[in-house]
Amino acid sequence: MFGLIKTWKALEARGIMGINRRNADYVLKYNKRHLYPIVDDKIITKERALAAGIHVPEMYGIIETEKEIEKLDEIIGGRSDFVIKPAQGAGGDGILVVADRFEDRYRTVSGKIISHEEIEHQISSILTGLYSLGGHRDRALIEYRVTPDQIFKSISYEGVPDIRIIVLMGYPVMAMLRLPTRQSGGKANLHQGAIGVGVDLATGVTLRGTWLNRIISKHPDTTNAVDGVQLPNWDGFMKLAASCYELCGLGYIGVDMVLDQDKGPLILELNARPGLNIQIANDCGLTQRTHAIEAHIEALAKDGVSEDAETRVRVAQGLFGHVVQQ
Amino acid sequence: MRSLTLHLKVLITILVLLGVTVTCYQIFILGIPVTEDETDDLWNIDAKVEFVASPKDPVKIQMFVPPLNRDYVSLNESFISNNYGVSVNRTDGNRKVTWSARRASGNQTLYYRLVLTKRYSTEKAKIKGPTFRDSLAVEGPEKIAAEALMAPIRQHSADVETFVSETIKRVNNANDDNAKLLLAGDNSPMKKAQVIDLLLSIAHVPMEKVHTIRLVADTPQSPELWLRSFNGNAWLYFNPETGEQGLPSDRLLWWTGDENLITVDGGKKATVTFSMNNSEMNAIRLAKLTDENTDADFLEYSLYGLPLQTQQTFMIMVMIPIGVLVILVLRNLIGIQTLGTFTPVLIALAFRETQLGFGIVLFTVITALGLSLRSYLEHLKLQMLPRLSVVLTFVVVLIAAISLFSHKLGLERGLSVALFPMVILTMTIERLSITWEERGGGHAMKVAVGTLFAASLAHLLMTVPEAVYFVFTFPAVLLILVGFMLAMGRYRGYRLTELVRFKAFLKKADA
Repeated sequence: MFGLIKTWKALEARGIMGINRRNADYVLKYNKRHLYPIVDDKIITKERALAAGIHVPEMYGIIETEKEIEKLDEIIGGRSDFVIKPAQGAGGDGILVVADRFEDRYRTVSGKIISHEEIEHQISSILTGLYSLGGHRDRALIEYRVTPDQIFKSISYEGVPDIRIIVLMGYPVMAMLRLPTRQSGGKANLHQGAIGVGVDLATGVTLRGTWLNRIISKHPDTTNAVDGVQLPNWDGFMKLAASCYELCGLGYIGVDMVLDQDKGPLILELNARPGLNIQIANDCGLTQRTHAIEAHIEALAKDGVSEDAETRVRVAQGLFGHVVQQ
Repeated sequence: MRSLTLHLKVLITILVLLGVTVTCYQIFILGIPVTEDETDDLWNIDAKVEFVASPKDPVKIQMFVPPLNRDYVSLNESFISNNYGVSVNRTDGNRKVTWSARRASGNQTLYYRLVLTKRYSTEKAKIKGPTFRDSLAVEGPEKIAAEALMAPIRQHSADVETFVSETIKRVNNANDDNAKLLLAGDNSPMKKAQVIDLLLSIAHVPMEKVHTIRLVADTPQSPELWLRSFNGNAWLYFNPETGEQGLPSDRLLWWTGDENLITVDGGKKATVTFSMNNSEMNAIRLAKLTDENTDADFLEYSLYGLPLQTQQTFMIMVMIPIGVLVILVLRNLIGIQTLGTFTPVLIALAFRETQLGFGIVLFTVITALGLSLRSYLEHLKLQMLPRLSVVLTFVVVLIAAISLFSHKLGLERGLSVALFPMVILTMTIERLSITWEERGGGHAMKVAVGTLFAASLAHLLMTVPEAVYFVFTFPAVLLILVGFMLAMGRYRGYRLTELVRFKAFLKKADA
């Protein structure tokens, strides 16, 4: 009992944010419920992003009904690689990444060979709402498969590493690089076994990482060091993330981005309830950073000014950048 | 945001205060018992009247019965007598039953039965009594002896109370010659009472003889004589032999005055034997029984006013918030993962039918079998709705099979399954299998165990009889629960499991 209280106090002192605090003070406070569909439905997110001139993976087509599944071939066309996603999926569930064709069959990114029927079944499952939040009917989205930049080759196992930046009222507060592992099956979700690696907001250099709630500094599959890697085009990522506030209007979001080999930073999806493991990856609590931003916004509000995305990035980099690791 | 917090605080305070106030009002003002175990004594008094009727004369028996104007409430009163007419009349604060018959012969037995209890009596009526009376005539040596006794009594007393007790003490003093003379060698309580009456009358102090029955189970007894005097506000009771003041609480006043308990015309050898036993009864049920006789109408506005069938339903319903509270605490404070939000509560309700141990076994068996079916169906690539329908049907068949099987084995418990909600089971299977596929078996097991644990805990708490009684009787407690839930809505502290989850930070900090 005493130990627990000590742990509690220590976590509090480090500003570690718990789920209850995240929900009460940030998600409920800053995220208006009526704006949720924008982030919960990837198709709407994509349309909004395109309208705002923000780069997203190209959408090949949408399947809305069972009947439309027949059009799958037409949508895919001659392409050999593509991604099928539920528009309202949560936590990366229900995503099918086809990397190549093999005779009449398809090969997924993990090397599994699947038939056309299996793909149709997957789409049908998506449509019936198996993967959607709340279980209601959904749409399937077929889009461009991102080819990760070569920089990640040494520190990721299959799949697409992505970059998650938590953005509070348009100010980036914390960033993390998520690297798929053998255990996560090519998915970049931490609860499925992917690695989260903290990123210095100012420089884009990776810090140490977290894997299954532990702190690590090497990739378990490739054994290459995950820290000290300079992410290319870092300011581009930061600006992309900061501008997502204008895009969706939600005050507390996790922005998931990828670095495509050819197309550069692209926005994959937005998350209205970003996870808390990013804190372990950065070895830093979120509460102090969010409080700093809130104080900054309050000061600005007093002067009656607001800042644009670029300024916000600079403010955040000034406040939280250049982390010195012990 | 600040104002919202203040708003919330005010709301919580109001709700909790309201809940506490209403509950306290019910407990302390209305006197509703806090636990179901609180029972009241229920006394069953039988007075058996036996006599030999003269063959030729009409028979008329008069017997005093309790006037019931003190703390007791009569629940039922009956006069058991064949071929006798019965009438009850009141005279001078006494009640008398008259049995009468034109013709009767041989041994006759009549019964008077009274069921009474102490509780829930109405407000005491304004007590009236005499404060003055004329002296009884007394002549010769008795007069001298009486006056000789009076002088020290007057000296040693201050008011009616002390006067009476002093008088009783003197009369009971065996060495006092004056008292001896007045008693004339008769030491029976009746004679003593008579002498005391005489002495008090000289001082113009009113006095009444009171005949009481002691409420003790299974001991035959005869009426006990007490004396009482009115001091202007209340009756003071005295034991004529000891001078002891105050009527013990187990005495039931049967009648007052000098008359005998029973008078028989047209019969002889009349005897009355009392026998009594007591039983206990739930206080609330008792209050309902006495409803017509007393002012237990406060129960009208409680859930007890509902028809019995509905009451049963409500007893389950009022406990659901308790179950929900358990889930809330487990999820938000402890951080246990469960399937869905309220699924554990629904499973807990299902456990009502099956009992806990059997319910867990059943739940596990059906879910395990359902999961294997579900994983088989996975190969068939069915759409969600048809697949769910198949699983549901399978669950129904499974439950039917288990019921049949256990019935054949003579386990009646198996039949209770029929009400185990199948839809809940089906959804549990479906969600569990999805969790299994996406998060792996370990996570699915964790969630399943968490769900079962939460359901068991909720079930255990929801079926504590004391808690069910308490919440059902004092539904305002639910307001306090709402207050707590509202407070939980703004809880920002860590969940217990997060302390473990974020342990990595501390190891780092120590290093």
